[in-house]
Amino acid sequence: MNKNQIEELIAKYNEGLADPSEILHLELLIESGEVDLTRLRELAKFDESLDKFKEPIASKNLDQKFYDMLLKETSKSKRFDYSSWFTLDSWIPKLSVSLVLIVMGFIGGTLLQKNSGGDEVKILANEVSGLKEMMMISMLEKESATDRLKAVSLSEEIQGPSKKVTEALFKTLNSDPSVNVRLAALDALHNYAKSPAVREGLVRSIAQQDSPLVQVALAELMVSMQEKSSVKELKKILEQKSTPKEVKQRIEESIKVLI
Amino acid sequence: MAKVRDGDPEKLGLLYERYKRPLLGFFVGMVRDKELSEDLVQNTFVRILKYKHLFRGDGDFRTWMFHIARNVKNDHFRKNKIAHEKVDKWEDKIKDEGNLMQEWQSDDEQRMLAIALDKLPEDKREILLLSKYQEKKYKEIGEILGCTEGTVKVKVFRALQDLKAIYQQVEKMM
Repeated sequence: MNKNQIEELIAKYNEGLADPSEILHLELLIESGEVDLTRLRELAKFDESLDKFKEPIASKNLDQKFYDMLLKETSKSKRFDYSSWFTLDSWIPKLSVSLVLIVMGFIGGTLLQKNSGGDEVKILANEVSGLKEMMMISMLEKESATDRLKAVSLSEEIQGPSKKVTEALFKTLNSDPSVNVRLAALDALHNYAKSPAVREGLVRSIAQQDSPLVQVALAELMVSMQEKSSVKELKKILEQKSTPKEVKQRIEESIKVLI
Repeated sequence: MAKVRDGDPEKLGLLYERYKRPLLGFFVGMVRDKELSEDLVQNTFVRILKYKHLFRGDGDFRTWMFHIARNVKNDHFRKNKIAHEKVDKWEDKIKDEGNLMQEWQSDDEQRMLAIALDKLPEDKREILLLSKYQEKKYKEIGEILGCTEGTVKVKVFRALQDLKAIYQQVEKMM
């Protein structure tokens, strides 16, 4: 069929004059892509009307059910995934951490053998702690969320962490792109909550969170710390329109306990 | 979706907010029950989370989602052994039977179209709803239905012809 014949067939169809055999022919042309559906005027009109069709609005019940399910799922994934420990990708940082620790142990052992004086032990312990801090801070800069999670857990091995470590953890808590890493940083900072500066930093962090999960975790932490000064910050989350209903409920409950 | 797959399930909230209405529209058009449709939307997102590792990332999320939604709908019909209603005598039902889709339409034409759409057989209603919510991407609809782009176009053509015929009859009866 040449171009003119196709045009004639389309015109005939649009006039409502095409017979069944011509419609069958038209189907073949549509299937092969020689005739576009938009050329069939009447049908295109119906197609456009369908596009303008309004769909129903989802009820609040659906939103609530979805966010409940999501909260449950996210808290599940927050837990440590043992299977990931055995994946090939995860071995490279693990090996490098092990290697650093072996070298540190070897240096420490040699020094201790040479001189068993208390001062050297102290110096060595400080050096090891410094190395761990350095390693943790550099791992926090890594692109992989798994590496950053490991960096956060490494901070828990550091005795009496320095300002540098808590600052790095706060930076992670307030700006890491992964919610899981932020939650891990929050857990790590919880261990240092005796320090007034850390408590103050945690309260300040509330207003900086946009993730409902971190907001809820912070609210629960404030309750466990009995940090009454956090109520003002928690109320700010309640005032935000974007805060999901479920989160608002949890925060309201926390505020009640705090007051 | 790639972020959800790679361990950040919270991002699913964004996808939910973007697609909950098209999905609800698809299900309401198919099962004609809003409460049930909301359950099916929820089931679709549960399945998206469950099978997130199967999302390859080289295709369109919307297509993958509607593929899952269609399976959710088919499983629902299968489990509940719902007999697919024959619509030979649909003319008798137009006036006394409430139609869910027309509730949301703002003018008479759209309301009549909702009635006509509702009277289409299930497969034709499905192809038109997929065409609407997949934004006329016939190749992607073919991936969902397991057929070629050309076959999808012919199916849409036939469904639109039937829709037009039913609409004209509805118009006469109103």
